Amino acid sequence: MTRTSRARRRGGVRRENRGLFAIAAVAFGLYVCFLVLPLLLSLRSSFTNENPLRATSSFVGLDNYREAVGDTQLRASLVFTLILAVGVTVAANAVGVLFAMMLNRTTLSYRVMRTVAFLPQVLSGVIVGFVWQTILTQDGLLNHVLQRLGLIDEPFAWLGSPNAALFSIGVVVAWILTGFTTVVYLAALQNIPLELHDMAALDGVNRRQRFTRVIWPMIAPGTTISVTISLITVLKLYDVIAVLTGGGPANSTQSTALYIVQLAFTSDRFGYASSVAMVLLLLSAVIALSVTNVLRRREVNL
Amino acid sequence: MTAIRRLRPRIRVLVAAAVILVFVAPIYLMIVNAFKAQPDILRSPASLPIPPTIDNLSTALGRPDNLIQLGLRNSLITVVCSVVLLIPLAAAFSFYLSRRRTRARALVLTALAAGLMVPPQVILLPTIKILTWVGLDHSYPGLILSNLGSGYLSFAVFVYVGFMRSVPEEVIQAARLDGAGGVRIWWQIVMPLVRPATATVAIFSSLWIWNDFLNPLFILGPLQGQTITTGLYLTIGQYSVDYGQLFGIMFLAAIVPVLGYLAVQKQFIAGLTAGSTK
Repeated sequence: MTRTSRARRRGGVRRENRGLFAIAAVAFGLYVCFLVLPLLLSLRSSFTNENPLRATSSFVGLDNYREAVGDTQLRASLVFTLILAVGVTVAANAVGVLFAMMLNRTTLSYRVMRTVAFLPQVLSGVIVGFVWQTILTQDGLLNHVLQRLGLIDEPFAWLGSPNAALFSIGVVVAWILTGFTTVVYLAALQNIPLELHDMAALDGVNRRQRFTRVIWPMIAPGTTISVTISLITVLKLYDVIAVLTGGGPANSTQSTALYIVQLAFTSDRFGYASSVAMVLLLLSAVIALSVTNVLRRREVNL
Repeated sequence: MTAIRRLRPRIRVLVAAAVILVFVAPIYLMIVNAFKAQPDILRSPASLPIPPTIDNLSTALGRPDNLIQLGLRNSLITVVCSVVLLIPLAAAFSFYLSRRRTRARALVLTALAAGLMVPPQVILLPTIKILTWVGLDHSYPGLILSNLGSGYLSFAVFVYVGFMRSVPEEVIQAARLDGAGGVRIWWQIVMPLVRPATATVAIFSSLWIWNDFLNPLFILGPLQGQTITTGLYLTIGQYSVDYGQLFGIMFLAAIVPVLGYLAVQKQFIAGLTAGSTK
């Protein structure tokens, strides 16, 4: 950038740039109206007892947050969400690395497999949820097959008990995310210079060492992205769980995202729903920022 | 020994294929069972549909509530309007940003990055409130407006800014000397240069808006005609025992995004890759 162009730019918007400025301003205005402003309104509601069934709402200070601290259902939903987020992130990333190494070849058959493996990512959570429900319900396809094979006598309720439902939801969500993690790791693998593999071969390293000493450190930037996005995705996940269990049995699979919607639209507690939303926002921000930070530092140290 | 060595790549392909097959088995089930009658589905869920029946599909298309036809139409309207407006808005915004001083740019980009992290549940209620103030609640224009302002814009700007920075300053200066204004330079010179970014933004925002669930469900409300995604959610529960109907409806609902993905899968994966390695 030359010095004159910078100086010229300082005096506000030049006439020939006004049209462009207008479009950019509309875009930013929409962002303010439908993201920044809602965020601020949500923060304000979180200090009120707002309820759509009542005409007025008043400020209640920190009452909602005090209630949140003692809310066992909120605590259960946070525990569920965190376990799901961690479990799914580990599973989707582990399988993603395996798939990426398996599919990191350029022949046609591997390219076709790559395309197919990524399909779950394209379908909506609602469709994925219903397809898996037909597989996992008590009289579903999985039990039919297992009974036919003589592996089980009684149909097993894959979504019927808290632990089984947590596990089943985890498998489904990991299944969705694996397409994404695979592509990220494939891209990371392709960034490893070929000479590095050759050098490792010359040094006579075995397969395990080649993974731990060459591949794993070299795909660290991919890991940062893939882990962070996996975590954020699970933290705000709504549709798949809503379809698979609706939060049941007995609220055991109610994620915090589901709890917010239930508080707002079923219990009509807008104010309290907003404060729970703030808790989720804070949690997402803290997790995303700290995980990114830790993983970035690891990229440098490796 | 040499025979084994020659066989190894083939065994590797077969193992990989088996693993991928197990992995996508649920999608396989959805496809084959869409063409089977209920008793056949229960007798052998994994077998191929021989001979195939299209009863499930014709029943799904013949529903009195037109779930599939209306849902696909509404989804298409929402996606096309949102993306056609999003692209010029995001691109112009990004071009304007990319020509600003770095500190202002960094500040706005940080604000936009924060938008990517906000769970949709957090802003859902106030968004509906704002739409009510301007008289657009429970309407498609309202849904489209909120799409334009939320995380999709953040994402689009991130993709564009990276590409816009690589447009050489000389090209823009030259156009300026020829008397072109900001809008003209952006639309006629910069936009053709950042076509890959436009493809990435168009593909991903289309997919996300098509599959979006929470916003259409609560912004449109149950009586306002649903997108295919929310329509499925609201009506399909009653078919939980009729697998034939269930798979037929889901097959028809899934076919648009899947065909779209297969058509652009090269750019799709290139877009993801560019985003993840930057």
